[in-house]
Amino acid sequence: MLRPVLRRVATGLVVLWAAATAAYLALLAAPGDTVDSIVGDGADTPQIRAQIIDEWGLDRPALVQYLDYLARAARGDLGRSYLLHRPVSAIVGEQVGPTLRLAVLAAALGIALALVLAVTTRRPWARRVSSAAELVLVSTPPFLIGIVLLSVFSFRLGLFPVSGDRGFAALVLPAVTLALPVAGVLTQVLRDGLDRALDEPFAVTARARGLREGAVLVRHALRHALLPAVTLVGWLFGILLGGAVIVEQVFGRPGLGQVTLAAVTAKDLPVVLAVVVLSALVYVVLNTAADLAYLIVDPRLRGSR
Amino acid sequence: MRRFAAALFLTVTLTLGACSGGGGGAPAADAGQPVSGGSLIWGVETEPITFNPHQYAQAKARLLVGNTFEGLLTHDAEGGYTPRLATGYEVSADGKSYTFHLRGGVVFSDGTGFDAAAVKANADQLRAPGYAPAVAAVQLRNLSGVETPDPATVVYRLTRPDVLLLDFLASPQGAIVSPKSLREAPDLKAGGPALAGTGPFVLDRYSAGQEVHFTRNPRYWGERPAYLEQVTYRFLKESSVRVGALTSGQVQVIEGVPATDQALITADPRLRFTRALNSGSAYAYYLNVSHAPFDDVRVRKAFRDAVDVDTVLNAVYRGTATRAWSVLSPSGPFYDKSIEGGYGNDPVGANRLLDEAGWSTRDAEGFRTRDGKRLTVRLVQSAPFVRDRRDVLAQTVQAAVKRSAGIDLQVSLVDQGTATKALEDGAYEVFDNSRADTDAGAALNLLLHSQGAINRTGHRDRSLDRLLDQGQATGDAARRSAAYRQVQRKVVADDALVLPLYAPADQLAASRSVGGLGFEPTAGVPDRAYGVWVAR
Repeated sequence: MLRPVLRRVATGLVVLWAAATAAYLALLAAPGDTVDSIVGDGADTPQIRAQIIDEWGLDRPALVQYLDYLARAARGDLGRSYLLHRPVSAIVGEQVGPTLRLAVLAAALGIALALVLAVTTRRPWARRVSSAAELVLVSTPPFLIGIVLLSVFSFRLGLFPVSGDRGFAALVLPAVTLALPVAGVLTQVLRDGLDRALDEPFAVTARARGLREGAVLVRHALRHALLPAVTLVGWLFGILLGGAVIVEQVFGRPGLGQVTLAAVTAKDLPVVLAVVVLSALVYVVLNTAADLAYLIVDPRLRGSR
Repeated sequence: MRRFAAALFLTVTLTLGACSGGGGGAPAADAGQPVSGGSLIWGVETEPITFNPHQYAQAKARLLVGNTFEGLLTHDAEGGYTPRLATGYEVSADGKSYTFHLRGGVVFSDGTGFDAAAVKANADQLRAPGYAPAVAAVQLRNLSGVETPDPATVVYRLTRPDVLLLDFLASPQGAIVSPKSLREAPDLKAGGPALAGTGPFVLDRYSAGQEVHFTRNPRYWGERPAYLEQVTYRFLKESSVRVGALTSGQVQVIEGVPATDQALITADPRLRFTRALNSGSAYAYYLNVSHAPFDDVRVRKAFRDAVDVDTVLNAVYRGTATRAWSVLSPSGPFYDKSIEGGYGNDPVGANRLLDEAGWSTRDAEGFRTRDGKRLTVRLVQSAPFVRDRRDVLAQTVQAAVKRSAGIDLQVSLVDQGTATKALEDGAYEVFDNSRADTDAGAALNLLLHSQGAINRTGHRDRSLDRLLDQGQATGDAARRSAAYRQVQRKVVADDALVLPLYAPADQLAASRSVGGLGFEPTAGVPDRAYGVWVAR
């Protein structure tokens, strides 16, 4: 029991290290150096450059800076933001909450909507309407969805406030914006899974036992349909994080998305690395959770380990 | 069928969206006489990267900084200075020492007193290594030291005459921060609630990515405290969201209204729209003379005259932009009006000049060539700093110079690192820039002086340097004007070093119940909230 857990933790650490290193190398390979980004479009003289290099120790070889970063990170010191002049842990720490609330609500909404839609729209006409809507949601940029929702429900009807992380009302529209494309994809995957499961012999057997169609659907076919959907959890996380960048911008919400965007455009290395490592951590945790979920969903997998 | 349903759904939602926001309603009564009390919510475009005034680098942050921090001087509407934390000043005959008499009875919001020692502590801090390198290297370049003969007097000693010291002391970077904060604030360079100033408001709450909140400073030294008890600035980066938040009454004031949204505001009787031109330099294309083809003044003149600036601006900004004729913004005191109409929009002349310069053949795509080489010039724009649809403007200029003169303007929109690299490698022929300096001389020094920190033209001209030095050395407005007039004429009309495009502006849109809104004199950016009130 202990060994698989240890193995998982070790794999997780390797993934974190690899993610940090890859991000570090990517930023190193990007054109222009850190001093360029700090100087920005302002005054640029040798004295200014010398002071910046001195302040951040940028004259050390890249390898030394990298090892120094790893050593500090291992002790929990993520450094200071070049751009914002504050500790990275504080910047990321205060922004995780709003993004987490947004992501969790959006995921919950998206999944719930997908389940309801996949199970209820079994009739041919309902299917057609739903499929069309899903397709639109999947192919519409979240930016546009957000603006349309804002125009209607905030600017026109005044039901929800536009900006900030200020209570539940301000969370509704951003979460719906993020949830709609998620629901679009998940519904299609689930419906496909349901279709295939209902063609299986066990569905015929269940019906022969006199089960009603609804019960066959929910109790038997849905379980099978869930397996491919669970696999999508990694994708889901990516969509939520990427969508958060846009949604937070549109809705004037605080959060990691805005922090990431600003840090990447400014080449604010310490912040970018922290966000990458944090994302990798969440990814590892979610995938582990997904593996566990397989065991719950599919009893056949339980014996095989 | 599927496709039809999708299209229908999209149309319905879009129509719903488009209908919104126009809602009429009776015009609200104007704000009337100033009243004290109440609170205001203000939607702003830019979240400052720092609240420390010494680190100020974003013109859009000026209205926030001014609420909390003040300098010894401030600008008046005529391009001069009025005392703020000082009561007056004298300049020595040689122009190398400036003596300031400080206002008494001023306290910082942390309770410590404002005196000469505080002013000196700020000047020393600004020159501390690693604290504000750009200020130390540019604005305080000529400062040799600060003396405090008594608690109410401060003397700035310079190594050479530099009238721009006054501009610095009226700028956010010259604002005086409580020395106690300078010593004790945990994240000094980030600023925030831990930094105390003397201003009419106290920054008491900052939620990164969301809003910053100010409360009235009851002990403000001015003739009255601020009218508003509280003012909140929400960061709304999307212009359509700012406008929607205003029209739906979720905020009472917004700044930054793009051309596309201005009609929506002016059509609404409940709202008021105002704009002002910024100070400093106009948005212009600076031509790199250090290599071909712009080393030839004929090619530079041809490029300048191939563009019909008015038509280009109308296409991009729908008649809301103010054309710039000079390298300086027309709002400033040094602007040379006689330059207007003296050049430009002359495709015939441009083509003749190019023929003379040897670019007389054309390739298959219609671009001019010389010795088999196409007449290509490159403009590299750094995406994080592109605003006011300057990328679209560049594409329009690109089409204009191609059509009228066969010049191939290649525009690339890249990240900051790539842009800096292109500048370092000289891999550009056109450099675009505008600066919001309150003293236009500061902008010209940076952009045109051969020692300038943003001189990207590669132009090294002793007579130009001399004119700029003259403008910086004397405090006499007429003599400064004369020098800067010559500079403008030289770089725009004679040498065609610069193609001026438009004068950057700021916009304010507000509910009619808000009074006292305005723009800061000289700077032309939205003013601090000191004089703002809300009718009740």
